[in-house]
Order: sequence, then structure tokens, then C-alpha cells
Amino acid sequence: MNRNLQPGIHPDADKLSVFIEGAATAREQEWMLGHLAECAECRKAVFLMQPHEEIERATATPVRGWVWRRLVPIGLPAAAIACGLIAFFIYLRPHGSGAPNPQQIASVRQPEIEHPRTTIAPAINSERVAQSGGPQGSFAPGAAATDVSRRKNLVAGGSNLPALKKSDRATATLAASETSAGPPSGSVRAADAARVPSSNGTVNASELPFHGRNVTNDEQLSTPADTKGVASQNSLVMKKDLPALQIHRASGQVETLAGVSGRITDRSGAIISGATVTLRDAAGKARETTTGADGSFHLTGLPAGPYELMATARGFSTSKQSLDLKPSELAMLQPKLDVGAASEQVTVEVENGAQTVETESAGLGGQVTAEMSSAGRAIPMPSGLMVPATVSHGKKFLSLDGTGNLFLSRNGGKKWKKVNPQWAGMAVRIELTPAYTSEASPKAKNETSAPASEGAVFQLTTDTGAVWNSKDGAHWYQR
Amino acid sequence: MDIPPANITQTESSGTRDRTASVAKGIAPETELGPESRLLSEMLGEELWRVSGAELVEVSKAEFAGALETIGARDNFGLDPERRANERQRETFWRALHLEELAIARGCALGRESAWRRFLAQYQEQLTRAAVEMTGSAALGEELASALYSELFGLTEREGRRWSPLLRYSGRGSLMGWLRAVLAQRRVNQYRKLGRETALGEIEPAAAVSEQLELERLEDLRVAIKMTLSEASAEERFLLSAYYLDQHTLHEMSRVLRVHEATVSRKLKRATERLRKRLLRTLRARGLSRRGAEEALGTDPRDVDLNLGKLLQKSEGDSIPDKEGQV
Repeated sequence: MNRNLQPGIHPDADKLSVFIEGAATAREQEWMLGHLAECAECRKAVFLMQPHEEIERATATPVRGWVWRRLVPIGLPAAAIACGLIAFFIYLRPHGSGAPNPQQIASVRQPEIEHPRTTIAPAINSERVAQSGGPQGSFAPGAAATDVSRRKNLVAGGSNLPALKKSDRATATLAASETSAGPPSGSVRAADAARVPSSNGTVNASELPFHGRNVTNDEQLSTPADTKGVASQNSLVMKKDLPALQIHRASGQVETLAGVSGRITDRSGAIISGATVTLRDAAGKARETTTGADGSFHLTGLPAGPYELMATARGFSTSKQSLDLKPSELAMLQPKLDVGAASEQVTVEVENGAQTVETESAGLGGQVTAEMSSAGRAIPMPSGLMVPATVSHGKKFLSLDGTGNLFLSRNGGKKWKKVNPQWAGMAVRIELTPAYTSEASPKAKNETSAPASEGAVFQLTTDTGAVWNSKDGAHWYQR
Repeated sequence: MDIPPANITQTESSGTRDRTASVAKGIAPETELGPESRLLSEMLGEELWRVSGAELVEVSKAEFAGALETIGARDNFGLDPERRANERQRETFWRALHLEELAIARGCALGRESAWRRFLAQYQEQLTRAAVEMTGSAALGEELASALYSELFGLTEREGRRWSPLLRYSGRGSLMGWLRAVLAQRRVNQYRKLGRETALGEIEPAAAVSEQLELERLEDLRVAIKMTLSEASAEERFLLSAYYLDQHTLHEMSRVLRVHEATVSRKLKRATERLRKRLLRTLRARGLSRRGAEEALGTDPRDVDLNLGKLLQKSEGDSIPDKEGQV
């Protein structure tokens, strides 16, 4: 005890220092606090013992220490939002960085890869795809850019859309060669591919349109973002003036096979769909394909060497072009055809009015994106379902999806409206009336001699076999 | 420097008295040591002696061992008084001491010149600076430090014998902390001697309060405060006193309690709220209406804290129970 302070009641210096330095036991601490609460002298001594420093004086209130707590209600949501944004950008980043920009897509092509073991019948269905190893087993991985760059050509301008019908011959051609037909560009999921009417023959996978597209999963084909990307890429391609012959060397992969891709147009730049493209090598062996709705064609799995490419289309003169393919190269061509005989038509029809087949996408196990494009801009269908058939007359478009819903667009596919069914049963086929089937899209604008007496432009067949006609696509009457 | 050694006979004998007193207070019998049975084994004693560097300050093994045993017995090896310390607890206690500083303090108390040299080399400047800080004046600080030096040298006498406060240093805290505590106590003594009138004047606000309150209500309030404060914990009472009576800042209080400033703020706020509620409850239990109880504390919430401070100050002295004899 300290003699100078009141004896007996004050802790000595040793106990004070032990308390201040935190070396006191719990009991000592309790006793010391109790004493300090009562003893002003010892409190003063305790505070005097503290080493000197700049002391903030008197402004302190008990609330002061709670300032940071007041920030918690603001800070926590802000931190959560920030974390969410970061996570969102992290989520988007791989997609953004993984997918090349349109210009890259337009100029860089991945080499085509041959998969000779894969054989898929033209009557594509999910079972056969599975037997052939499935889409993923058939395609080389990591070449989404190739797929996208290729798909961009599938979406054509609206002027090319009316070429929807397919004849037997055309069907065979489609099945046996690389053809992208059907107005709404997109792809067909393997499961949906069962709806596609089968045809004859068996085609080597190297000749199938999906060969070498290197699709690894369905998302690459079916996601909306991807669809938009295709649309924008298509716009880019439409605006881009391709040289007559462009050869891009693929990088990073060692492939010995080459390919040819391109688009056939007339001298005015209008796309010609259904044109036959024949590629003949030096030995005379020919590979043939027809252009799709967007006028594009693709031939892959070609050995390197000199080739002669011949493009023919009804109503147009034949175009011939020589090219020398080098290993691992993809030649991009844009043959231009001169207008030939006026009586020729560029029409692809399917027997019995079968649904339009997107042969190329069907093998990819993709999904119908159900989009229409009139000016290079992809427009999703209202139902979002597969569109097996679409017909057009002028700016009027009629699309029939897999569930029998009929959609009408009066502005070239920009806006769609569902047509109220005025018929009994389910619509299974939509087509132009025979009087209008001869109207090819490029000429439709100039066609003024439509038989006004018949009136009806569109023809619809239900599952009961009833045939309905319509002039405008909205009002129907039974024939 | 020839320093007359302090008479340590008293220290040794006081150590024996301490042990005897401890036994009287109920400390375990085995802590009562005769000269022949020591708690500190020779091996451990020698090890601690070497570790402390006591040899360098001319403190013998026996002297150092005696100091260790005295300190251990006095503080019951850091245990509660009703508990006995086993061998391991004793060893832990001794090893946790600031042995080197304890050796210096003992050497100085024994008047060993080498110890004083080391003491002055290590602590003189710090001690003077601390004294200046406490007094706020270089002259007063140096005067305070000089007075302490003379006291530490053993120039004071107890019962006719010279005595050094360094003998009270236990080594549980740092020697500098102990020196600062001694300085602070001496400074408080100086302050008390010089400022009794001033201290009385500080109670004036309470007098103002008392003028506003009726005598009966004031008595109720005093009783309520006494009851309420007796229910509060020691820490709460310390916080209330340090904050409202001494006007210390949260920062200063946090340094004393070795906790964060925000913790002190939170505890103080809780203590204030709890005290106010208890006061209201107590006042109402004594027959006051709610309105009357709130008026007694001050109806304006902005004045509640201030009024509490005044009330606490008024309660000082007579409402807080005397703790004498608890040390």
C-alpha cells in the first residue's frame, strides 16, 4: 500500500503497473476496476501512467465510436452490389474473350477437319447421330469461330427467303451434298431432327454440311447471344466486299485437307439460293453442293490441289472458276452469275410439301433459332419453336412452326404476329399457291403479273388434308 | 557511485512476515517455508538466476531466490488466495516474471553499484521524460524525478531503517511501468497536497443540482444511486467515473483497459442506459411517479448524461462502499 495516499485502500505501484500492462489476474483486474471506480486519486494515477501522446480531448461522445457502424447499412449493400457486378463481369468475360469479334470471325477460319469414320444418313435423327458418335464426337473441339463464321452466311437477306419449296430432286441434292436450305437460318437440335423427313442415301460425314464445324456443344448454336452474333456477323458480311478469291491460312493446326466456301450472287449482288456448285479436281472427280437460302455453299475435306469450280443456277449462266487449294486452307469464293434465260427458276421444292429441311444444322444437334432476316438482322419467332416452313410474297412472310402455329409478318420479317387459326386441325404445311410458286425472291419485286383472278397467294394444308387459301396471310378461306 | 545499501534485513524479515501473514490469511500451508524447505529448487533457482543476469548486478543466487520466493508467496503465484500452487504453476509464475528487470531492481535495492549503473543507463532518461509529461513542466518534472531517485536510493527510512520502494517491485510488470506508476502516485500526492480547495470546488455542479431538487427527492435520488451503483459491475462503475467524473476521453480509457476505443464506447453507452433504467426503476419503486422519476434525472434526454454525471459526482464518497482491506 502506498503510504502517501490514504493508507490501506490504495493499490501500490506494482499492482497498478501490473494492471496497466495487462498482467493482472481476473480477480486482480476486477478488484482494481472496482477500486478505480471509487478512487479518484488512483484513477488519476492510472491515467497519468499512460505514455504521453496527442490526446483528443473532450469532443468524444459515446456515439462517436458508432460512426463506422452507421456506415454498415450503406456499405454492405454497396459491397454486395460491387461483388455482384464483379461476378457478372467475370461470368461474361469468358464468353466475350472466347468469342472472336466479328472482324476476326470474318477473316479467320479454322481448318476443316475430316472425320471419315462418321457416317450419318441424310434422314438425320437423334438415334443416328448417337450412333455416329454424336455431334461432339464428330467435330473437332474449340472451333466455334469456324462455326460462327460459317453460320453467318446462313442468314440471308429477305430477298432470298421465298425459295422454300423443295422438289424431290432438290431434296436428294440436299441430302447428298452440303446444302443449307430453309429460310430461317439456324440449326436443328438432334432431338428435333427426328421431325425432319428422311430421304435416301447415305452420305459420308466429310460431305455433310456440319463437317468440320467443330461444334462442341449446343450452346454454341442455340444461345440467343450467339444468334445475335450470327446476325451481326451476317450484317458485316453483307456489307463487306469479298474479293473474288480469298484464301486464308489457318493457323495453329496442322491439317492437310482444304475447303471451299463462298456465296453465289448475281451481278447486282443479289443472293442466289439453290444454285448448284460443282467442284471438280484434276482427276475429274466432282463434289457437288447447292447454295443455301443465303446463297452460301461449303465444301470441305478436300485434298489439296487444283480444282475447277462451276456454279449454275436456273435463269443464270454458268460460272466457272479455277482455284488451287493448299493444305489447311479454306478458299472463300464469291462467284457472280450473269442473268440467263428468263424462264428459269431458282426454286427448291420438297415432295409432298414436306417441311423445309435445314440439313446442315440438323446434324449439328443444334436448335432452331427460328429467326428471320430481312436485312441481315436476326429476328426471333414469337413462339421460339422450330420453324419447318416459311413462305413469302413480297414483304409478307408466313412461318409455320412445329406445333402448327402460323405467324405472319407484313414487313419482311421485322415483326411477327400470330394468325388466329380459322381452320380445323393443325396446320402442317404452308406454301405459295401454284400461281405464285414460280416467283423467285429476287424477282418478286419486279413481278407484277400475278394472276389477279386467282387471288390467293398462300396455301395452307391441315393435318386433316384440308387446303386453305389466303391473299394476305391473315384471312383464310377453304378451297 | 557509492550508494549505501538499503537495509534488506527488513525485506527478508518482511518476506517472512508476509509468508506468515499469508498463512494467516489462508494461503496453503506448503507455501509456508522454513529456511530448510524452499519452494524454489536449486536447479530452477540457478537457471533463473543465470537467465536474469543477476550476477551482472551483483545479486547472489540466494538473494535472487529469496526475492522470487517472496514475490511468489505474496501474490500466491498469480492464483486466487484459496488455491494452492503446485510445482508447475510456481515454475510458470517465476518464468513469466521480468527476471532481468527484477534483478536490477533488487540489485539497486541492495545498493549494488553495477545495478545502479545499469538502472541509470536504462531508465534515467525515460524516467525524467515521464515525469515531465506527467507534470507538464520540465522543472516540475525534473523535481519529481529527483525526489523519486532519492526515494529509490533508500534515503527514506521506515522504522529507523532505510528502505527502497524498489523492494516492492515484483517483476510481474515491466520495471518502467512500475516506475511510471510510482511517479504517477507521487504526482497525485503532490496534486492532492496542492489542490484540496480546488477539488472541493469541483463538487459545485452537484450543489447546483441539489438546489434544484427538493430535499426529499434528493434523498430518494441518493438512495437510488447507491443501490444502482452497487448493482453495477466494477468495469461499468470505472467507465462511468472515468468518463463522467474525470472527463477522460474514450481513447484514454481504451488505453487503460487495453481494448479498442469502439469497445469502450459501446460498453459506456450500455452502462449509461442500464444505469438510467435502474435509476428510474429504483425511483419509481420508492414511490415516485414515472414523470417524477424522469424529472429527477432530467427529462431532456440531452441532459441525461450530464445529470448522471452530476449525480455520480454527488454520490462519490458516501454511496460507494468502502473497499478498505480488500488488497
